[in-house]
Amino acid sequence: MNYTKHNVLLKADGVNLQYGDKQILRDINFSIQDIHRPEVSQGQVVSLIGRSGIGKTQLFKILAGLIKPTSGIVTIEEDQHPVAAGEMGIVPQHYVLFNHRTIYHNLKIGLDNAAVKLSDDEKKRIIADYAETFELTEHLKKYPAQLSGGQRQRVSIIQQVLTGNKFILLDEPFSGLDILMIDKVIKLLLRVSTLHEQNTLIIVSHDIENAAAISDTVWILGTEEGKPGATIVKEYDLCKTDLAWRPDIHTNPDFIKLIQEIKQQL
Amino acid sequence: MLFLMIAEAVLALVAWQLSGGGLIPTPVKVLQSLGAIVTERDFIDNLFSSLSLTIKGMAISIIIALVISYLSMIPFFHPISRFVVKCRYLTLTGLIFLFTLWTQNGHQLKISLLIFGIVPFFVTSLLAVFENISVQEFELCTTLRMNSWKTWLEVVIRGRLDQVFEVMRQNFAIAWLMITSVEGLSMSEGGLGVMLIKANKYVQLEKVFGTLVIIFILGVLFDYILGKMRHWLFPYTQLQIRHS
Repeated sequence: MNYTKHNVLLKADGVNLQYGDKQILRDINFSIQDIHRPEVSQGQVVSLIGRSGIGKTQLFKILAGLIKPTSGIVTIEEDQHPVAAGEMGIVPQHYVLFNHRTIYHNLKIGLDNAAVKLSDDEKKRIIADYAETFELTEHLKKYPAQLSGGQRQRVSIIQQVLTGNKFILLDEPFSGLDILMIDKVIKLLLRVSTLHEQNTLIIVSHDIENAAAISDTVWILGTEEGKPGATIVKEYDLCKTDLAWRPDIHTNPDFIKLIQEIKQQL
Repeated sequence: MLFLMIAEAVLALVAWQLSGGGLIPTPVKVLQSLGAIVTERDFIDNLFSSLSLTIKGMAISIIIALVISYLSMIPFFHPISRFVVKCRYLTLTGLIFLFTLWTQNGHQLKISLLIFGIVPFFVTSLLAVFENISVQEFELCTTLRMNSWKTWLEVVIRGRLDQVFEVMRQNFAIAWLMITSVEGLSMSEGGLGVMLIKANKYVQLEKVFGTLVIIFILGVLFDYILGKMRHWLFPYTQLQIRHS
């Protein structure tokens, strides 16, 4: 498939995290580049795969600027400035929303704090547009508790998009969803990733197959023998291997082989 | 469930009536006394006095408790709120003399003691509410680019208003329980507590039980009204999170 890689949008340089004597993360290095494809606003989708308790959440929080690494730096956007809390959106596993606000107001909070200042009418129109696109119109007056897990997840993702966050970290987005819902989430994520050229989704998941199916890059977070802490032991560039952006990817023999290989890495 | 509750209450009342009561007046006598109490000339005045004292005490207490609890989020004020929580174990009886010196009249004395008695319980419940706020809610605010003030307003104040109301409802019982005790300290203003003390003094057991029934019914009624108000003001409190 025709594509080119341009500026670095996100980079981790020598990130280490240590609590006391315990090394959690060791020498994490990676970069995400802006991918261009003809006639598509192609964003980036990266999966971070690793076993439970390996340090995925800690890396997740470092990327989001919520915790500072013991050493190393995470830089974002074209000017490569150090990441600050609030520059990356987070969609946690249990889709945290403001339970005391309706869905409309949960989405409006995203716009209220966006870099671009909008009038109330503009906000109303934008929310209505997104709600229609992501099948939430009939739920705008409801409270989060009245929505299913999948619907709350959609609200949570859109809330981050409306804030203007081009970088969104998703923690276990497929967890606890049935097959039909997973399909819907995949479509939603693909749609969000193509809303803007620089939109970058980082998916932390146990679900190797679904995460890899929508990604252009897969990072494996694991440990190396004799060395403390987790690091990225392998990076798969699915664009290079022609396994990215393919609707029929699940039945592709190379993809099936790749999943087997990833499983062995864990 | 309601039917079961009514049936069990009726059964208990019938058993009480049939047992003759012994020292305790039978339900029929209590009921007759209740009728007499509510038709007494000064009953409404006494009722109003107790209610106004409770509401005033509650209102001031919740404001003081909220200020202490909100400030407890600032490390400097944390020990103060912790000390207030421990004040639950201070007996009011031992402090009456001190409060009498500090206050200028009986009304102030009652209000002060009521507030001093309620605030530690309010603060204890409010701190429990605030301590249970998940870190993820604060992180959500950060990712939504909200500053510290907006985060505090959204998560701690707006997001917990329903629970503050619930704390108020639950602690209303404590205020209502204390009212009869503090009213005895200055009887000139009257009140249900004064009625109770007088009836006890002259061993009018029917009147004591009749007054107790009134206090009980009013307490339950207020609990019900505050519960309904909570659901009306904060409709989302009636909803259960769906996990599907």
